[in-house]
Amino acid sequence: MPNLGQLALAIALILALYSIAANIYGARRNATDVIVSARHAIWAMTAMVAIAAVSLWVGLLTSDFSLEYVASYSSTTLPTIYKITSLWGGQQGSLLLWTLLLSTFASIVAFQNRRRNPEIAPYALAVMAIVAVFFLGMLNFVTRPFDLMAVRPVEGSDLNPLLQNYWMAIHPPSLYTGYVSTTVPFAFAAAALITGKLDETWIRTTRRWAIFSWFFLTLGNMFGARWAYEVLGWGGYWAWDPVENAAFMPWLVMTAYLHSVMIQERKDMLKVWNLALIGLAFFLTLFGTFITRSGVISSVHSFTQSGLGPYFLTFLILIALVYTGALLYRVPDLRSPAEFESYLSREAAFLFNNLLLVGIAFAVFWGTIFPVLSEAVRGVKITVGPPFFNRVNGPLALGLVFLMGVGPLIAWRRMTVKNLASHFAAPAIIGITTGLILFGVEITQWYVLTAVSLVAFVAGTIAVEFGRGVTARRHMVHESTPRALVNLVSKNNRRYGGYIIHVGVIMAFVGIVGSSFFRVEVKKSVKPGESFAVGPYQLRFQSLNPLSTPHLESATAEVEVTRDGRPVASMFPAKLFYKKPQQPATHVAIRSTPLYDLYVVLAGIDDQSGMVTFQVFLTPLVFWLWAGGLMMVLGTVITMWPNVRERAAIAEAISRGKEQIAAEPAPGGE
Amino acid sequence: MRIRSRFFVGAGLIAVAVGYLIYAAIENTSEYYMTVNEVAARQASLEGQALRIAGRVSSGAISWDPVTLTLKFGMYQIPNADDDDAVKKVVVSAPPVFNVICVGQPKPDMFAPNKDVIVEGHLDGEGTVSATQVMTSCPSKYKPKQGQ
Repeated sequence: MPNLGQLALAIALILALYSIAANIYGARRNATDVIVSARHAIWAMTAMVAIAAVSLWVGLLTSDFSLEYVASYSSTTLPTIYKITSLWGGQQGSLLLWTLLLSTFASIVAFQNRRRNPEIAPYALAVMAIVAVFFLGMLNFVTRPFDLMAVRPVEGSDLNPLLQNYWMAIHPPSLYTGYVSTTVPFAFAAAALITGKLDETWIRTTRRWAIFSWFFLTLGNMFGARWAYEVLGWGGYWAWDPVENAAFMPWLVMTAYLHSVMIQERKDMLKVWNLALIGLAFFLTLFGTFITRSGVISSVHSFTQSGLGPYFLTFLILIALVYTGALLYRVPDLRSPAEFESYLSREAAFLFNNLLLVGIAFAVFWGTIFPVLSEAVRGVKITVGPPFFNRVNGPLALGLVFLMGVGPLIAWRRMTVKNLASHFAAPAIIGITTGLILFGVEITQWYVLTAVSLVAFVAGTIAVEFGRGVTARRHMVHESTPRALVNLVSKNNRRYGGYIIHVGVIMAFVGIVGSSFFRVEVKKSVKPGESFAVGPYQLRFQSLNPLSTPHLESATAEVEVTRDGRPVASMFPAKLFYKKPQQPATHVAIRSTPLYDLYVVLAGIDDQSGMVTFQVFLTPLVFWLWAGGLMMVLGTVITMWPNVRERAAIAEAISRGKEQIAAEPAPGGE
Repeated sequence: MRIRSRFFVGAGLIAVAVGYLIYAAIENTSEYYMTVNEVAARQASLEGQALRIAGRVSSGAISWDPVTLTLKFGMYQIPNADDDDAVKKVVVSAPPVFNVICVGQPKPDMFAPNKDVIVEGHLDGEGTVSATQVMTSCPSKYKPKQGQ
């Protein structure tokens, strides 16, 4: 099997190289048969990469420790599910997963465009094949997943215990799906720049891919945060670690992109900006993979030792230079006929939302690379931690939330002040009243007051939008309120799906603000039978129960939680010790309610005194972060759902024998 | 063209605001990340500065009081942690050892003599590090393989 995998990767590399040449040659010479063969090469490449991935999976499942990768990231006692997920537990496997996803997406694009976009699709596929060549080159020559051990060990050194968790099973594939699928819009943008076909074709063709990518980036970030919350045991879910930032930056830029393409579709503006944004998003997905995989952030010195780093950096710089060069070359062709007319317009709101999102992405980028820069420039490594990111991004987030309320209600082109007042009076009153109520209950932090008032304002604007739509349907089509609501959303799914995503975002924002400002932490060492208080709860440590399996040892504490003498819950935080990697881990006990989470960590066991140290967090509203994530998922699914009108439009376009399928109709209700 | 330039002003203001926030936050929140020897070399100038110090727990006296959550230990330079020649020249005789006191945190997992740790805190007058946090450097999956 290892030989098969290695061979498959070599063939895949050759096929990818062939596909680049054939796509470009075929498109230039208009040679259909060559383009068809290039497409077949993409499909064959995908089959080869799949064979390689399956070979590695077989190695992992059969515990074939002659493979260095299996010996490093698996063991005989590892549960089967984690044998499967250890495919992305290490560097080589992660890159293999990247390549598998990339070639799969390229195959789908090749299939989707077999009769469409004859002018740009071959170039887009060539761009995807170039990216594939880079990753396949790494897999073939630099970080090879099928390298063999000199001596076959009897046992593997096991998957990192922190990764033996179901969130870690689904987080990397989600994030990578999000990362890799940005390649599709990027490839079409690059193809538009190469061919000079700079109309909206590239945007329309890849709109679903962009939303798909955003969806999985959202999931990836949420799963990662949830994993950190449940597994790391420090009571938080986001530490502004470089690895987290690497996942967050592409999400920010893709969010900006999804908004600004609407301006181009409606107003034919921001063409250069959109091309730049998608380039930046793709760059950041590569950059994210680079910093998590090369070790450059932990130290400049480890960078050169990892083998991968210098190649990756070269590829990144090349991509950035070539794409920027092409974009600058095309700028004269990208002049927009329309212009901004007023600050009080939807275009302006979207533009400023874009600037804030990119501003946040830049701040995160700067904070992430600052230690490396300072080490390189000044010789002293200066790190910035969570306080830096919170200080910079906190105020910017307020601006974004404000614009989230303004954008959907404000008119295109320009709005009169009178109009403005009539649209925003109700939401503004809701926002201000909420702020006053909070102030009345003695919440005085300016940030919290502003944040919650703005959230109420946004909720008000969304309610107004739904209200207007439902009322209009009730009067025009004479529908009952629930039916009007369902039809409103299903007939304008892009628009109202977007609003539902916004609801999710403000729910998550409430969760973030609540958990950041009002978290209570108690640390206490107790003996069995002793109690201590956390907020309104009494926690009583009953007993400590040890357990040993061949895979791990554990000690589980039984904690009885009461409130005003009434029993609330029994919680079982535990300390684990994984035997093969000789590594400890913690198992946090969480009791979650919409008001607050009780989060109990068994932080230490002192053998001498027989005392057990607990670290307990009472975190308000963190529930809403996860609920908001679910809401964003729901909203995105609604947005992506094939629309009846859109399907009719596509059918019509096909029946008219059009080459290019028109995008779905613009959102209604204008 | 006038309207266009007005938008550049708006965009410029946002850019300036972002830039200022970044600048101010770096001034206020940055920590020096140093090894034990680097700290020893410029001890005088670092007093009160927020530091993250990488070092190794010495095998001498480690005291842990679970009731008050007080951890005391000494830390010294990780051998060969830094291949910077300038630092090596500083170390001529007795290698510097800093005493670390960390109050109010649980003892980290894997804390033991000769383990590598990262300590966050301040250097006080007597060359003691009062730490807000002690982290055992974990074998992260993100670390590259060191050599072969």
